[in-house]
Amino acid sequence: MAQFVQALALGVLIGGIYALMAGGLTLIFGVLRIVNIAQGAFLILVATFTWWLWRATGLDPILASVITAPLMFGAGWVLYRYVVVRIRGQAASMSVLLTFGIALVIEGVLNIVTGNRFRSATPAYFEQSFRIGDILLPKAQVYGFLAAVVVLGGLYLVLTRTWAGRAIRATSQNPSAAALVGIGATATAALAFALGSASAGVGGSILSVLYPFFPASHYDWISRLLGIVVLGGMGSLPGALAGALILGLAETLTATYGSLQWSTLVFYLVIMAVLLVRPQGLFGARLREDAA
Amino acid sequence: MLTLNDVTAGYGNGGNVLQGVDLHCAERTVTCIVGPNGAGKSTVLKVISGLLRCRTGSISMGDVPLTSLAPDRILAHGITQVPQSQALFPGMSVRDNVMLGGYLIRRDRKLLAARYAAVLERIPIVSERASDHAGNLSGGQRRMVEIARCLMLDPKLLLLDEPSLGLDPRSLAGVATLIKSLNDGGTTVLLVEQNVRLGLGLATHGVVMEGGKVRLTGTAAEVRDHPEMASLYLGGSAPATPAPAGPASVSAGPASAPGTPASAPAGPGSAPATPATPATPGSASASPTAKGVSNA
Repeated sequence: MAQFVQALALGVLIGGIYALMAGGLTLIFGVLRIVNIAQGAFLILVATFTWWLWRATGLDPILASVITAPLMFGAGWVLYRYVVVRIRGQAASMSVLLTFGIALVIEGVLNIVTGNRFRSATPAYFEQSFRIGDILLPKAQVYGFLAAVVVLGGLYLVLTRTWAGRAIRATSQNPSAAALVGIGATATAALAFALGSASAGVGGSILSVLYPFFPASHYDWISRLLGIVVLGGMGSLPGALAGALILGLAETLTATYGSLQWSTLVFYLVIMAVLLVRPQGLFGARLREDAA
Repeated sequence: MLTLNDVTAGYGNGGNVLQGVDLHCAERTVTCIVGPNGAGKSTVLKVISGLLRCRTGSISMGDVPLTSLAPDRILAHGITQVPQSQALFPGMSVRDNVMLGGYLIRRDRKLLAARYAAVLERIPIVSERASDHAGNLSGGQRRMVEIARCLMLDPKLLLLDEPSLGLDPRSLAGVATLIKSLNDGGTTVLLVEQNVRLGLGLATHGVVMEGGKVRLTGTAAEVRDHPEMASLYLGGSAPATPAPAGPASVSAGPASAPGTPASAPAGPGSAPATPATPATPGSASASPTAKGVSNA
């Protein structure tokens, strides 16, 4: 029983972190209808920067989020205004090509600058755990989860309590009606892209502690994130949360009762099963053209 | 108040949907655009609200040029639009939907609160369903909330695209009453309507479009009773016998001029008693018709 509860707790912790990473991806898709393949590369870029910062200054990698999040917010805003905006209104496939190109550039630059080897930030608490009864919760995962919850909570408040957030949600739900109430499409899209990138800023800093990474790790991460987003329903934040928790639980439960090697396969089997029943994902809206 | 001068517009790389539209709405009037499907009625509203840029021609309100302004700039000049359908944000509450209508005045909290209070008073459904998701409303309620959202900017000109679409008779009556009361309060209204009888019944002035052009303008009564109306609107189902006085009598003078031609009403359900010359785009020059009638 303790083993099951431990697996559940770990699954929730990891799921919360996945939710933060996937939340940015689904936010960008919801507003811009852009599949940002570069989101995984953003994570690895930030993880590498965080690792370097930790080595150079001793700054706690998870706390480094307070630096990486605003940096990625600015980088995302600039990237949208000067690069991504050029494909506005074009097919989603064009966004895949463009953002895949951005991911390759990031991977190439990281290879040249940092070299093609595994890294991982290992602060003092790296191998420590909290003990609650028979359950052990690794400190790094708990801190990462707490950071993710704080950021997701903040994102929720921004989206529901501020005019900028309402503009993002309105554009996501009905772009032409948003234009009719005076919401500027470009400014809102840039803000959504910047927020999505900022979430990768926090996610990347957390990742640097929890998972070893190297420049090409972004392929693994973007496939996980896309899996979460597709499972939850493209563009749906609650969907990303649900998909992330399912991935977290699938991984830890499979690793506990089976083998770690099977955990990813189990997740993709869950995706296939869900999509057979709900092609739009758990929380996705069924579009008119889907039904045709 | 609003003037469109020789406006052409189209979608993407396609041809012109509007092929030189001239239109004028005087202050405090209700102008209804009618016409068959594909005539370009909704496109006229889209170019006015800035959702679609016109390719040539000009749009102005009073002395203010509106041509090719972005939608938010056009809103700032007091022009709001209720689109044909699906205009709300379904995952947001009714209150949030209506409040978003005041997006441009969001920094003036007092004004925003005052406008919202005024909207609640005028349209009770907003307070009754304030916390409900807009996606859960019925068609009539949705239409009321869409209009409520537009009122947050206290518009000078309200554009309505087929307000009757999908509404049951009771909802329709509610929407019609609201439009009339808004107009009585000084709001100028330009609406597009497939339901000719309803649209022209509400309106003070009428415009008939066909093939991307304005074919007939005048007072609502003149347009409704015009012998060419059935052939324009119903696609040439009227008798082909030439009309002796027909369209020329309307086009000859201003809207206020005497000479309302037909004696029998020519709504969508009734062919005119007075025979009319079939009017098609090709025959437009043959009947240099009513386009000259202005509702100014």
